[in-house]
Amino acid sequence: MRWVRLAFVDVLGIQKSVSIPANELEDAFDGKVTFDGGSIDGFVRGEEVDMVLRPDPATFIVLPWTEDGQVEARILCDIQMPDGTPFEGCARTTLKRVLEDAGDVVQRVQAALEVEYYLFELDPDGSPTTRTTDAGSYFDFSASDRGQEARLATSLALESMGVPISSAHHEHGAGQHELDLAAGGVLTMADRLLTVRGVVRRIAQRHGLHATFMPKPLEDSAGSGLHIYFALGDVDEAVRLHAISGLLDHAPGFTAICNPTVNSYKRLVAAWDAPVYTVWSHRSANALVRVPPAFGNEPPLVEVRSPDASCNPYLAMAVLVEALAEGIRARSLPGDPFTGSTYDLSERFRTDHGIRMLPRSLRQAIAALDEDLVVRGALGDHIYHAFRDAKLAEYERYRKAVHPWEREAYLRVF
Amino acid sequence: MHDEKVVPSRRLRRDNPEALLSYAEALARVAAGGGGPQALASHLATAIDAAVLVEDTQWRHLAVAGTGERAIPPSVRDLLPKDASADEGVALAPPADPRARAYPVRAGEARLGWISVFPIGTRSTDEQAGLVRLTAAQIAVELSREAGGGRGRRRGFWDRLLARAYEDPLEAREDAQARGISLALGYVAVAIEGEGLDEAIAAQKNAEIRRVCLDTLGTRTGEVIVIERGGGYFFLVPAPLEVDAANARTAATLIPRGVTRAGLDVKVVGGVGRHAEMIGVAQSVDEAREAMIIARRMFGGGRVMPYDDLGVYPLLHRTGATREDWRAFATRVLDPLRAYDDKHQTELVRTLKLFFDVGQNIKEAAARLNVHRHTVFYRLRQIGEIGRLDLDSPHDQLTVRAALAVDALDA
Repeated sequence: MRWVRLAFVDVLGIQKSVSIPANELEDAFDGKVTFDGGSIDGFVRGEEVDMVLRPDPATFIVLPWTEDGQVEARILCDIQMPDGTPFEGCARTTLKRVLEDAGDVVQRVQAALEVEYYLFELDPDGSPTTRTTDAGSYFDFSASDRGQEARLATSLALESMGVPISSAHHEHGAGQHELDLAAGGVLTMADRLLTVRGVVRRIAQRHGLHATFMPKPLEDSAGSGLHIYFALGDVDEAVRLHAISGLLDHAPGFTAICNPTVNSYKRLVAAWDAPVYTVWSHRSANALVRVPPAFGNEPPLVEVRSPDASCNPYLAMAVLVEALAEGIRARSLPGDPFTGSTYDLSERFRTDHGIRMLPRSLRQAIAALDEDLVVRGALGDHIYHAFRDAKLAEYERYRKAVHPWEREAYLRVF
Repeated sequence: MHDEKVVPSRRLRRDNPEALLSYAEALARVAAGGGGPQALASHLATAIDAAVLVEDTQWRHLAVAGTGERAIPPSVRDLLPKDASADEGVALAPPADPRARAYPVRAGEARLGWISVFPIGTRSTDEQAGLVRLTAAQIAVELSREAGGGRGRRRGFWDRLLARAYEDPLEAREDAQARGISLALGYVAVAIEGEGLDEAIAAQKNAEIRRVCLDTLGTRTGEVIVIERGGGYFFLVPAPLEVDAANARTAATLIPRGVTRAGLDVKVVGGVGRHAEMIGVAQSVDEAREAMIIARRMFGGGRVMPYDDLGVYPLLHRTGATREDWRAFATRVLDPLRAYDDKHQTELVRTLKLFFDVGQNIKEAAARLNVHRHTVFYRLRQIGEIGRLDLDSPHDQLTVRAALAVDALDA
């Protein structure tokens, strides 16, 4: 092995890396590898600040492919200031801080993930299309195509990297797939999601396909979500209810973090079992929080269904964990579980049952984040402002853009 | 929302006793009108043109007001000087605005929390310290009153309400206002008693049970009213909305576990009445008492049972239940299933009826319905969820059988 990638994420969750020769890894552990923080979105702008990469040995993996015949490894890093203090703009450090402050119950929480994504064909010039290779549907056994081969290869690659996959299957949409990641600690699962996003895209590329976690790539097909299951373990039933309540109470506030793109809100509409209201249920597939009946004597899991995989995994986990913890601290309760489809709830019913609508746009989500001091507290001032600035700018670019739909609807009419 | 007119901030200077006095009067009116910490904080925020954060000693938010576009820290916990104890405002550490100040909320020697102000305009908040301290004092009074429970004249109101002495809601509301009581739109009554308490320690145990109950039932929607009757308590939990009522029910059912967790070495039994409008709270109290009796006799005590979950037992317990009562009962049990059938073109009620007609034999029910037996299992699970029934429980089986029988007799 010649090279090791020291990887970290920016505030938006985009993976960055600095490659170092393998024989310099010891220097990295001693905090001697630095990078220019001013060059990364959401870090220290306008200043030349050498920031320190502090690798976490538990995250060392050998990549299951070679670069120019060379084996490569990757290790995830926390970011520190030159004086060795934690950098408050580091999302991974933020998640660690939230977990440390969250209390015993939440520190023991395990998480499992269901990640959905699409595989599309590439044009001859290599650019991605929205054409799929298959006509398979949910759990389809016979959807034998390059997509299925890519999914299988991805699962094997992830297993070889120490990311256990509990199940992998075709999803609702043509070309849509799902990987279910077996449970682990919250920080571990955020690390794994980062790995999964990279590996899925890389393996797809090797199969001549483009993989995307874009939340809603096709208007007439299901969106791609990231369902996060929390196992609170063998706790008092009241604690589980408090945790559910915390999630529902802070859902509008954490939506900007868990659904951070303008496209995310095209998935969060009343269709394809996407959640739109702060409702919990045992069975309803379009509830925001679902507590499916447990198997045997296993404690029930708490599933959050709104996030999508365009999120920064560390920040998404941080705000969800903080919401759980706040519900437990405040001992709030979530009302009765809901039965049936949540899509046709009357306004009166929603008022009586304390049900709120999730933000319907990135702009609304940012406004809800501004008002939620618990979620903001989890993020810390630095990340809150950096994230908010970046997302307001993104929303403004979107708002000013003239979309094809508008031309279609108005060009000939007016 | 209170509709008190706010004195414009330019008049509210420490060196203007008249303005201070009129601000204090306005605060008192806000409080008398039922305004708690949130209304008082909003009043202050408008008066001094600042964002206001009120936190208790556990750093839980009691009120946030006037933030608008202004970003304020989620808590001042880590921004206070280590030795912050003075009555005067203390400056907060960076990154807070250097003009921001925090003041203790005190009742006597006890500190109940902090009120922090973050100026929006260019002016310092120091010149308005008097207004902040007045507001802190009024908030302390409200918090102490909430913690202390009812006094004599307040108790008189609740006694009259439970005796159904008020002709109409307006009369009750006017009397409540005159006694300084803030009323919720609706309530849920919870009855709780300790079981088999030795007389020598009953008073002490009851006080501890009361504390656990208040702790468990505590709500953000207002003050929980405690009424002592015989050897137990009634708690009136404010429930303006259905979700508050659902949470009150859930919280009440958690009381026995709370008592165990608190190490009281005593068992409790209780009942929860249905959600009632303020004027009808006596009905909820009667239902709570009845549910408690049934919980003790039919289910062996050690639990708190919602009246709504008792199925047919209240009718069997009550002497003189009329045909109308029975019809209403059958409707309550079967209507959620009928509504689901109508909306989704399903056969839940038919499935339920057939299931009991064939002696709860799934195979036989499936044959009669001409469906797979998995379909019957699935439908029974749906019935359980929609009707909040446990069809494996003999108690719920009795309820469903009775409801189906009443329904058939009325057909």
